[in-house]
Amino acid sequence: MNRESMTITVQFWSYFRELAGIHGGDFEVVPGGTVSDLLDAVSLRHPDLAPMRPCALVAVGVEYAFPEQVLQPGDEVSLFPPVQGG
Amino acid sequence: MKRSILLTADPIDEPALTAGRSVSATAGAVVCFTGCVRNREAERPLVALEYEAFPAMAIRQFERLLVQAEERWPLESVDVVHRTGLVRAGEASVWIRVVSSHRAEALAACGWILDEMKRVVPIWKRPIWEPVANP
Repeated sequence: MNRESMTITVQFWSYFRELAGIHGGDFEVVPGGTVSDLLDAVSLRHPDLAPMRPCALVAVGVEYAFPEQVLQPGDEVSLFPPVQGG
Repeated sequence: MKRSILLTADPIDEPALTAGRSVSATAGAVVCFTGCVRNREAERPLVALEYEAFPAMAIRQFERLLVQAEERWPLESVDVVHRTGLVRAGEASVWIRVVSSHRAEALAACGWILDEMKRVVPIWKRPIWEPVANP
């Protein structure tokens, strides 16, 4: 991590993990960056996930997050498709 | 309101769940719902569903739902059990029990919790299809 960015850990769930081919990873986002900025970085590294973005759900920790939500250093973000319990 | 939430890879033992929970003298309605895996999906034979959960978030989101349910209806207790892992056709994947003074709120709350669970609780399922026989 350099002074111009912060590291955000992302975990993929369900078939997003299969599309990415990996369980997750660390992504660099500028300080003050948002969930939307993070999704840009994820789409760039994992192009197969990019088409899923309109339906993707995002959580910071164990709470749902919105695209404009500002991320904090050390945030753990989860990215997953619509849920299907029951 | 009493509440319990369990995610488990073990089969849902409905008789044991029911036997292990008493109801108060003021409870006029006990609604139990069991969701089971069907053996067909869109006319295609299905062997099982494999459930995956994001456990910490699933528990948190269930907790939020049960708090909201308590705010909407006067409930005595809600218990939720949801399976993870491989659930074969015919087996239970989810079990919900709602206890209240009257049936209307118990039935309404049970249906609402199920609907909201399918919207916000991070659990996913992958179908295991029956192999297609070669001609």
